[in-house]
Amino acid sequence: MIVAERKKIQDLLEIVKSHKKLLVLGCGTCVTVCLAGGQREVSIIASALRMAAKLKGQQLEVEELTIERQCDNVFIEQAAEAIQRNDAVLSLACGAGVQAIAERYPSKPVYAGLDTSFIGILEERGIWTEKCAACGQCVLHLYGGICPVTRCAKHMLNGPCSGSREDRCEVDPNRQCAWQLIYKRLKEIGQLDRLKKIKPPKNWSRSQSGGYRTILREDHRV
Amino acid sequence: MKADSKLAKKIETGDFIVTAELQPIAEANGLATEAALKALGKGLASINVSDNHHGMAMSSLAASVAVIKSGAEPIYQVVTRDRNRIAIQSDLLGASYLGIKNILCLSGYHQVLTGYPESANVYDIDSTQFIEMVTKMSEKGELDNGAKIDGQFSMLVGAVANPFLKPLELNILKLGKKVEAGAKFIQTHAVFDVETFGQWFNAVVSEGIDKKTAILAGVFPLDSADEAQNLRDTYTDYYVSDAIVERLKKAGDKDSQKKEGMNICIEIISKLKKMKGLRGIHILSGGKEELVPQILAASGL
Repeated sequence: MIVAERKKIQDLLEIVKSHKKLLVLGCGTCVTVCLAGGQREVSIIASALRMAAKLKGQQLEVEELTIERQCDNVFIEQAAEAIQRNDAVLSLACGAGVQAIAERYPSKPVYAGLDTSFIGILEERGIWTEKCAACGQCVLHLYGGICPVTRCAKHMLNGPCSGSREDRCEVDPNRQCAWQLIYKRLKEIGQLDRLKKIKPPKNWSRSQSGGYRTILREDHRV
Repeated sequence: MKADSKLAKKIETGDFIVTAELQPIAEANGLATEAALKALGKGLASINVSDNHHGMAMSSLAASVAVIKSGAEPIYQVVTRDRNRIAIQSDLLGASYLGIKNILCLSGYHQVLTGYPESANVYDIDSTQFIEMVTKMSEKGELDNGAKIDGQFSMLVGAVANPFLKPLELNILKLGKKVEAGAKFIQTHAVFDVETFGQWFNAVVSEGIDKKTAILAGVFPLDSADEAQNLRDTYTDYYVSDAIVERLKKAGDKDSQKKEGMNICIEIISKLKKMKGLRGIHILSGGKEELVPQILAASGL
């Protein structure tokens, strides 16, 4: 899922301060699961904004709404009336959701209420970890299902750097070295040979380095 | 084309090789670099020039030119942290024009460890791919994308290894790839524990890697127990044992600790020199270039 974090209330207040009527719009998919932008967080942020505005003497009316997916036009439709009757939208979706709303309502200010962080998983209660960099050319089959592009801070594709120590990463001792995990896993599944071949430089044009990406599926075009 | 540096010749003739590291600082006029070069003296086969190693510094390309001007031969260090393959190759062509004949290919410390945690990290290529790229430039006269290089490009390619990285199997696998990619010499991280280094070196020899590349063992003159602790706390590639820290502490005051650090360094070199198949010593000065002539004299290097 896409994992995000809420911006600070004081920053949000600064972002929306020129508006009198604000819609706080939640998203019911990824950011609900990672406890950043679902119905519950919409309610918390709306209340916090009301209180903070009151304390600062700012006039601010806040409406709350959560739709299933802000990145999907079918669901955006359900927010149409609420968007129309407010001066601006504070979207608690990921960056894709915020932009989808903004594109659909060109004359309405739409702001991001979250910092979109990464594609990851819930590791354990309260801890989310990045697992995929969406690099556009998956190499997981070569590395025992552990991604060196995402989980090695140097994207090393041919083995660990010299800073790998006792399973830890040189960047942060609280982080596991991806290469130690890759080694153990490949050994476990009898595929250590996969590491021996020198992997050529990665084609980053399929990642964000090539600019924003689009996928065209002719079989789905009408 | 075959590399024609003095270092390449020494590797070929089987001479025992001694190199040391020059660490440029953040300076605009080169005076400190020139002073450090003077301090390093004339007893070295080649001088490594580090690339923004522990912090931002004058470029290793410019400092390598200072080495040439001083009459010595540089080993131009480049890390893949800050440059993509376009910048690296362009700098390498420039290095060739400026008379640089040896390169050390590294991935480099992550930017978190260099005082710029907020900068973008490049890592377009890793150290092994870097070695392969420069080897191709030298042997085929071609850039990574197949384009022909005008004029002759020849660079002796070196790499680094950390003998203390575990497990040994993974360590040797990685080293083997670097050598297969074209590394003609390997300079290791600092050795403070000769026994563990010996285990690694035995594995290197039993894989036949020492026959394909020249292995130079790294040494580092410690100044004090505080420095030793600070290095191992900050950088995961410094393996300094408690015994060494204690030995430095017991030496007493600042000057005595420094002397003891030098003693330790010299003891380590004398043990390393006895290892059959080891091709030389690389003195990681850590910016203490003035200590290098003392180390050379005391070790008979």
